[in-house]
Amino acid sequence: MNSLFFRKMVVALTGLFLCTFLIVHLSANFILLLPESMARELYNSYSTTLRESPLIKIIAYVLYAAILLHAFYALLITLRNRKAKPEKYVVNHSNENSTWTSQNMGLIGTIILLFLVLHLANFWARIKLGIGEEVGLDALGNRDVYEVAYTLFHNIYYVIFYTLISIPLGLHLHHGLKSAFKSLGFYHKKGLQLLAKVSVIYAVIMGVGFGIIPIIVYFK
Amino acid sequence: MKVIFKIWRQEGPNEKGTIRDYEVDGLNEDMSFLEALDHLNELLVLKNEKVIAFEYDCREGICGQCGVFINGRAHGPHDNITTCQLHMRSFKDGDTIVVEPWRAASFPVIKDLIVDRSALDRIIEQGAFITAKTGTAPEANSILIPKETADRAMDAAACIGCGACVATCKNSSAALFTAAKINHFNSLPQGKAEEHKRVAEMMFQMEIEGFGSCTFTGACEVECPESISITNIAEMNARYVKSKLLK
Ligand code: HEM
Ligand code: FES
Repeated sequence: MNSLFFRKMVVALTGLFLCTFLIVHLSANFILLLPESMARELYNSYSTTLRESPLIKIIAYVLYAAILLHAFYALLITLRNRKAKPEKYVVNHSNENSTWTSQNMGLIGTIILLFLVLHLANFWARIKLGIGEEVGLDALGNRDVYEVAYTLFHNIYYVIFYTLISIPLGLHLHHGLKSAFKSLGFYHKKGLQLLAKVSVIYAVIMGVGFGIIPIIVYFK
Repeated sequence: MKVIFKIWRQEGPNEKGTIRDYEVDGLNEDMSFLEALDHLNELLVLKNEKVIAFEYDCREGICGQCGVFINGRAHGPHDNITTCQLHMRSFKDGDTIVVEPWRAASFPVIKDLIVDRSALDRIIEQGAFITAKTGTAPEANSILIPKETADRAMDAAACIGCGACVATCKNSSAALFTAAKINHFNSLPQGKAEEHKRVAEMMFQMEIEGFGSCTFTGACEVECPESISITNIAEMNARYVKSKLLK
């Protein structure tokens, strides 16, 4: 159970789960782009529905576990892979045979992990754990999560940070999505060519999507 | 033609190595890269210095003995060739050429540019063969194999075990090598009987030899002299999963 292959399977499966989660997460966040009169109540009632659904509660725990397992096993893989090449080349033109992203998944992942800590502190800790400034209620009596996002993204530093972080996210997803399928044993040649294209499209949608929301909210 | 070689010199496995500079004149662009090294070695002999140890056998791209890291690429600046197929016309007069041995924890340096690649042999010993005694070659058409299957097996069997995949991989993963051997046997009817045991034992050996795991950077298939496709690794993974499920 501790074989390299097992570790790769965990990283691939949790990675794909996280990729699926991001689709749902981004779709919901697009509500923030609607005119305020619609967006606030829609976003807050959606958020309340999620918070109160027992199914979503379970999925939320799966999500936390997935993030921790993904980062933990990815770290193990990265450390072991470093050990396998203790001496580096004096001259190495690895950019001529592979992408920078594929060579630096560990670094990119670590950046995303640091972002996640801040991201959870910004939203999850305040809304779910009630840590920090109290979250008010909207006209319908739902917790005003919209206001949390709105205030956060009127701080220019957060806007810049959230937007910049979408670059490593997009890169990670571009390599991760296609790599995960190959790790899991998908080897159909035509399918892999299609997958390479789908990975680009997916990564661009996620990167641009998450990157643009803070900017648009800032100018609202 | 004149070049400056910067070559890794290391007396033995436990000695400290270093890059040494050699200005070499009198080369011409029709020389193969190995001939240029021969030329340099002749000059060193005349100067009573120790020659540079490097490996080769066939010098025609089929034996897989000759790999070194040249100017930051396995087997030199071109994709999909061996070091012995590289010629000096790929360099310019006055170029600096850095030559290093394959780097991997599982490929310890023996001397200068020669590394110990026996870890690959030990992976082969775990199952890249069939145990049945087949006697002399049977009639070719007594076992019918579809052309497509035969081609796929042949593409994988083309691996010459040079180690460029391990050398270029940032993880020093031997996945392309191991996958080529496994898929070669497992896709043919002769190899089927032992397919699950083969994939499990060869992949286990790959792990205990200290190779890293594949993260699909794709560097291996660019440097592989036989252009073995990285989809072989995905196929090996599928075979491994199948072997676990059907155990
Ligand atoms: C939004 C969150 C994330 C998503 C959707 C995601 C997705 C993925 C996917 C699909 C893979 C491919 C797995 C494979 O090649 O088999 C992957 C690989 C990887 N992830 Fe993530 N990931 C996320 C966050 C993180 C974080 C926080 C880290 C931090 C440590 C991380 C580190 C890695 C590493 C190091 C790999 C490469 C493993 C390898 O090279 O094979 N990821 N990720
Ligand atoms: S010497 Fe045989 S492949 Fe280069």
